[in-house]
Amino acid sequence: MPLDALDTTGLTVRHGDVLAVDDLDLRIGRGETVALLGPNGAGKSTTVSAVLGLLRPAAGSVRVLGRAPADAVRAGCVGAMLQHGGLPGEARVGEVLHLVRRSYADPWPLGDLVATAGIGGLLGRDVDALSGGQRQRVLLALALAGQPPLLLLDEPTSAMDVEGRRAFWTTMRDLAARGTTVVFATHHLEEADAVADRVVVMAGGRVVADGPSAGLRSAVAGRTVRFSAPDGVTFDRVPGVTGASRLGGTVALATADVEATLRGLLADGVPLDDLEVRGASLEDAVLALVGGGR
Amino acid sequence: MSPLFVFQLRRVARNRQFLFFTVLLPALFTVFFTRVFAGTAGGAGPERAAATMVSMMAYGAVGAALGATVRLSFDRASGWLRQLRVTPVPQTSVVAVDVAVGMLLTLPPLVVVALTGRFLNGVHLAPGQWAGLIGVLWLGSAVFVALGLLLGWALEEKAAGGAIGIVGTVLAALGGLWVPVELFPGGLRAMAHGLPSYWYAETGRAAAAGELPPVLAVGALVGFTAVFAALAVLVARRRPLTAVAG
Repeated sequence: MPLDALDTTGLTVRHGDVLAVDDLDLRIGRGETVALLGPNGAGKSTTVSAVLGLLRPAAGSVRVLGRAPADAVRAGCVGAMLQHGGLPGEARVGEVLHLVRRSYADPWPLGDLVATAGIGGLLGRDVDALSGGQRQRVLLALALAGQPPLLLLDEPTSAMDVEGRRAFWTTMRDLAARGTTVVFATHHLEEADAVADRVVVMAGGRVVADGPSAGLRSAVAGRTVRFSAPDGVTFDRVPGVTGASRLGGTVALATADVEATLRGLLADGVPLDDLEVRGASLEDAVLALVGGGR
Repeated sequence: MSPLFVFQLRRVARNRQFLFFTVLLPALFTVFFTRVFAGTAGGAGPERAAATMVSMMAYGAVGAALGATVRLSFDRASGWLRQLRVTPVPQTSVVAVDVAVGMLLTLPPLVVVALTGRFLNGVHLAPGQWAGLIGVLWLGSAVFVALGLLLGWALEEKAAGGAIGIVGTVLAALGGLWVPVELFPGGLRAMAHGLPSYWYAETGRAAAAGELPPVLAVGALVGFTAVFAALAVLVARRRPLTAVAG
């Protein structure tokens, strides 16, 4: 029977009085590419930390490829990029990489690892002289050093520029194609959408939605139309509108059909001062998903 | 040798400031203080030169032991220890290697200052006395390795960096490593007896005289080491090395 890459049962983690992860059941099969999506404070990083054995859960269990987290790490089953991980000062990149590779029984061949992580030319560099993006790539090389079957990435692209991000996710897709299970935490909807074949949306330490990324996309397909309007006018009956709210002199209409809504407004002769149309934000999506689940 | 040990040693060796303060400065002080005392009324007899050398060996070793081990705090602050924790490198060896590196790095100041005393200041000891002196001060430096680990574990990066300078200076000045305790007024002399650095130098002075270290001094050093190590373990239990802040 093939073991799940990751299996949490009733995982509960507290930071002092705050319930960071609340009774989380999550199973991730081998070879899946999964995004943990959610706003800050949703419990994504805490979940990743618990899976790596960096903190002790208040309740519940975690199995990583059938092992306890610490055992899985020691056996070289997991590679990780941590949000608060770092590199040592007064060392060269090559020395750090050598040290970490040596700790694995079956390390990734150096030349190929350097090429995959995109750190060619950096091996002789002082760690203290690296840019933010270079640092992240070195941390990626450390995560990949043991050719781990499971890769856990916590906000891996936060220090990267647009080009760096694109290259990074291309690498991740290649790894996934080779059978590596990739689990990453992000608050960028686009990243989850572009890379993951499954998206787990978290909020308040719980899973609020879990499914293929296409499903998430349709759930948040709605857009918001904003404009200035005098008090006392209501827009509930405009075509396409699924909800209306007002903040001061600005009206925000959630709509499933932007075109119909705008046509309706224009037909009614509404002056559309300060008109703005934008896609649903992640917060909107999470709210929509929470609402839809009830 | 473990790859982590080699890695850590190379990092410290790359730090020129560390080498200056722990090796070069005590050696320069050895020459300087001996010349100063040569100008005073009592002159600088061979005994005075030997005592200065022993004090400076102790001073260098204290600085090296503290400076090498407090780096734990820096490695925690950078997130490196957290990163290392998600590799197969066992957590216990991280601490063990830092202890080993701390112990090893007390040797260069001991040896360099001893050579300075021998060849620049004309200190003459029997081969057994030289070996005993270096051996006793090397073993005794465990107390400062334990203290450095405690400080590195307990304090944030910046506080730890500052604390090492202050603690090192207090241990040296009030422990009688710069100015002999015999020249201290009564109150300060009593205070010196409450510092591990005083007893540490005592064991060195005895060894240089070809005697066994006094039981009281050895007992004090063992006691201080046990207390520092126990406190370090207590702090470590409350605050894992992988914690980033707070």
